[in-house]
Amino acid sequence: MFIHNFKYSLKTLFRNKELIFWTFAFPIILATFFNMAFSDIENSEKLDIINIAIIQNDDFNNNEVFKSAFEEMSDKNNKDRLFETKYTTKEEAQKLLEEEKIVGYMELVDNKPKLTFITSGINETIFKYVSEEIMQTSNIINNLTEEEIQNQIMTGNFNVDYESIYNKVIEITTEENVKLKNISSDNLSYTMIEFYTLIAMVCLYGGILGTVSINQNLANMSNQGKRVSIAPTTKGKVILSSVLASYITQLIGVALLFIYTIFVLNVDYGNNLGLIIILALVGSLAGLSLGTMVATTIKSNENVKTGIILSITMLGCFLSGMMGITMKYIIDKNIPIINKLNPANMITDGLYSLYYYETLDRYIFNVVSLLIFAFILIAVSYISLRRQKYDSI
Amino acid sequence: MTVFKTFLKILNKNKFIIILYTMFLIFFGGFNMQTSENNTNFVASKPDIMIVNYDEEKGITKDLIKYIEENSNVVDLKKNEDAINDALFYRDVNYVVYIPKNYNKDFMDGKNPEIEIKSTGDYQSSFAEMLLSRYIKVANIYQKSINSEEELISKINETLSKKSEVEITSKLDTNILSKATFYYNFANYSIMACLIYVICLILASFKDIKIQKRTIISSTNYKTLNRQLLLSNSLFSIILWMIYVTLSFILVGDIMFSIHGIFYLINSFVFTICATTIALFIGNIISNKNAISGIVNVIALGSSFLCGAFVPMEWLPEGVIKIAHILPSYYYISNNEILKTLEIINFNTIKPILLNIIIILSFSIIFIILTNIVSKRKQKIG
Amino acid sequence: MKNVIEVKNLIKEYKEIKAVDNLSFEVHEGEILGLLGPNGSGKTTTINCLLSLLNYSSGSIKIFGKEMKPDSYDIKSKIGVVFQDVAVFEELTVYDNIDYFCGLYIKDKKLRKQYIEDAIELVGLEEFKKFYPKQLSGGLLRRLNIACGIAHKPKLIFLDEPTVAVDPQSRNNILDGIKKLRDNGATIIYTTHYMEEVEIICDRIIILDKGKILATGTSDELKELAKIEEKITVEINELQENYIEDIKKSKNVDEVKYTNSLLLVTYTKGKNNLVELMEYLKENKIKYNKIYSERPTLNDVFLELTGKELRD
Repeated sequence: MFIHNFKYSLKTLFRNKELIFWTFAFPIILATFFNMAFSDIENSEKLDIINIAIIQNDDFNNNEVFKSAFEEMSDKNNKDRLFETKYTTKEEAQKLLEEEKIVGYMELVDNKPKLTFITSGINETIFKYVSEEIMQTSNIINNLTEEEIQNQIMTGNFNVDYESIYNKVIEITTEENVKLKNISSDNLSYTMIEFYTLIAMVCLYGGILGTVSINQNLANMSNQGKRVSIAPTTKGKVILSSVLASYITQLIGVALLFIYTIFVLNVDYGNNLGLIIILALVGSLAGLSLGTMVATTIKSNENVKTGIILSITMLGCFLSGMMGITMKYIIDKNIPIINKLNPANMITDGLYSLYYYETLDRYIFNVVSLLIFAFILIAVSYISLRRQKYDSI
Repeated sequence: MTVFKTFLKILNKNKFIIILYTMFLIFFGGFNMQTSENNTNFVASKPDIMIVNYDEEKGITKDLIKYIEENSNVVDLKKNEDAINDALFYRDVNYVVYIPKNYNKDFMDGKNPEIEIKSTGDYQSSFAEMLLSRYIKVANIYQKSINSEEELISKINETLSKKSEVEITSKLDTNILSKATFYYNFANYSIMACLIYVICLILASFKDIKIQKRTIISSTNYKTLNRQLLLSNSLFSIILWMIYVTLSFILVGDIMFSIHGIFYLINSFVFTICATTIALFIGNIISNKNAISGIVNVIALGSSFLCGAFVPMEWLPEGVIKIAHILPSYYYISNNEILKTLEIINFNTIKPILLNIIIILSFSIIFIILTNIVSKRKQKIG
Repeated sequence: MKNVIEVKNLIKEYKEIKAVDNLSFEVHEGEILGLLGPNGSGKTTTINCLLSLLNYSSGSIKIFGKEMKPDSYDIKSKIGVVFQDVAVFEELTVYDNIDYFCGLYIKDKKLRKQYIEDAIELVGLEEFKKFYPKQLSGGLLRRLNIACGIAHKPKLIFLDEPTVAVDPQSRNNILDGIKKLRDNGATIIYTTHYMEEVEIICDRIIILDKGKILATGTSDELKELAKIEEKITVEINELQENYIEDIKKSKNVDEVKYTNSLLLVTYTKGKNNLVELMEYLKENKIKYNKIYSERPTLNDVFLELTGKELRD
């Protein structure tokens, strides 16, 4: 009996084109869109080479510090290269700027840089900052040279070797002696969250499968349900096998999305496959429990039930960052309780913690939250199923 | 007239969908529109930096913090590593500086102590690192020859206070124009989704095989009927467009009354026409009501994602942009992007805009032709 | 004769209305019992209560001598139901649908296969086994609906208006099928508001209205309840008032009506009424085109009992 019903539950679920579209195909399509739209965002946030122009006047040609500094920073062989520099006349520079070929140009007036931009922005700020840095370096060189000369004069050496002092000072200023140690994680790709919310969406959408397959067994929900109710089988057994069938269907959907995102879109879920599978199983269970609860407690037609699950899922995914990851952060930071109760976020956050965190505390917290969520909802479904007798059909 | 009445009734039944997509537009289209000042003066970009100081706040430590504070937005988070990590991941902070214990003392002793940092790796963080390195470098240089803490700090500040002079040429308020562009780009999704959904639903109702049988045998000529349907649908499109335009006046404001504003209106109107023809085409090839919402989502989301309605076009990969050229949304959104930075309005500068409009209109004509071909084939039932 | 179903004082109340009002009846083994009543008379509610799909307010229901409860699986296994609404899966083929529902009763695969074939043959869907419900016409869909309900060869079958909106060919097919089921030993409860069907196939009839039993008996017994026994209709182009008065005074006549060139005479008792009326017409040289006699229908019975027509 169990297997008989299980087999046919699977068959009806898989033949339901609409259901299969929303739970299987739509997430994959959405993932493809996400990938197309987001795959380049993080690269474009890296510092690009900035196109600039420098006006070649006497001031610039005679200023060794500026000249060599820009030469170095525009050198194609320098891995820390910042600029693509054109040396032009003022007219040419203005034209380039108007055509937006460069972000701005620099003109040295009395050894002071004067910068012209169209507007403000990060590239402009960096250009300005670098020009200031060079000016500051010349200031240091002047200060140090002066000091050194004074020192030498103080010590009675009037025969100052300017050349050697200058070289010494330059040496000091170019010495790379800033010690910084980067201790941030490598996995900083925040667009991953978008894909994690998709996984959460599929897990919860799966609830619809549960709802549909339970409805097939409830006399007050469908005509087929009436047939099942008058058959000599226990309701529990039939419902359990239907629920199991929908769980399996749901897991296939989740697995497909995982396979697609991992192998086609190169989404990074961290390295611990076992833990990811556990999360997917538990997350789907949470979705299933949502479906069973809606199916058993809400007395309305199937469209309303599906609508409720869809709304809960979409709201949950919205809060966990599907339409902009900032939302998840804002909620996590300011009203954490909302996302601690949000099953979509439990799944998203679980995947995030596997990807980004080295410790498992946060992952375990999420998995346990999902289990509690699922347990409570299944318990509610069970109780309301037990109580259910029909006063009207 | 009866067609129009029925049209309105079906429309009324689906008003929830229209409200939903309009809410999306207001919520997301208006979301990124915090007001900021007119920026015809240069405003330096400031990275978001968080300082975790394990040292006492005095001497070099104090001055370093002061320097960072002056040149960045200092973010204050709970001194909890998880909170910091989350903030980094979600780009709430670009750069975290951990000043070690006894930094001031060790520095003065010439030990050049190591500073731990966390970075998001984007340009903001690169800039933050430039700031930090700059300070340490200058400090290190002077430290070799100066022993007095006070003198050292004043020397560092003297050097770091050298500033460049900056001039901004643009008189254009790109800020408000960006808002308008953002709004109209997002409208790409709302217009498409709304029009396709509603028009398909209405066509599907009219083309329901049983109803179509009735209308075919009725005394109204099917051509008249089709014309009335087309008229009703166009009217709906125009009303929807007017609603969205009115919303843009409320959300974006004054700029909509300028020449730029007129171009935004023309552009969106042409796109509305195109979206209507797409909707009619789809409505004509689809008869299954259940399939509509799936198709709407795929088409509207697809062209919005691919053409940069949600994510700015300059951030999209080249390949995607190439694909986007086959979609009318691309030309509509391109126009919005051109308008954002369009400074001088003359024939030369608006030529690309006009060209895009012509392309969008050509798409409309293609869809009308396709619709005619399809509906001719379908005139007989079954 | 054994009683398959015994219902005593069944009451089903919704918030304000009594859908089933103190119903008591029995169903005998091997008979086709017709539940006849207009729409909303409580037929379907009664059946749902019998099947314990619905909670009822009070009363007792015994099927096969045992109390019927939601978990009376031994009873349920002997029951088959054909619902008023088509209750099949859109996603499954004709064969799969029957197999699924039959599988809820019959676990033995070989036996089940045989049963399914029998059911398909009974309703005449042999050519449509691989079809999906969407591809079937209304009549064929009804037949599938029936096959799903009776494939497991139940001893007791409920048929809830199985012929609503069915073409005549399918209807005959269905009615033949029902008789076949009875001949194979099943007891059948048949609800409908088509009295012609009831008259054709039912052994016994219960007439329901507003949740109450108005009358029980065979078709003939019920007709005897009505005080009229014969209806004679004569087509006469012109008839003078005095003749009508004359006819009214003749023997056994209950009522005389003359409208639209039709003379309608109803008699409380039978025998020779037609001959006597024809003789009277001949004597008075009244010309007539057509004359025919009818026995009253169940509709007349219902009309008399309730003052309204059975069909709405």
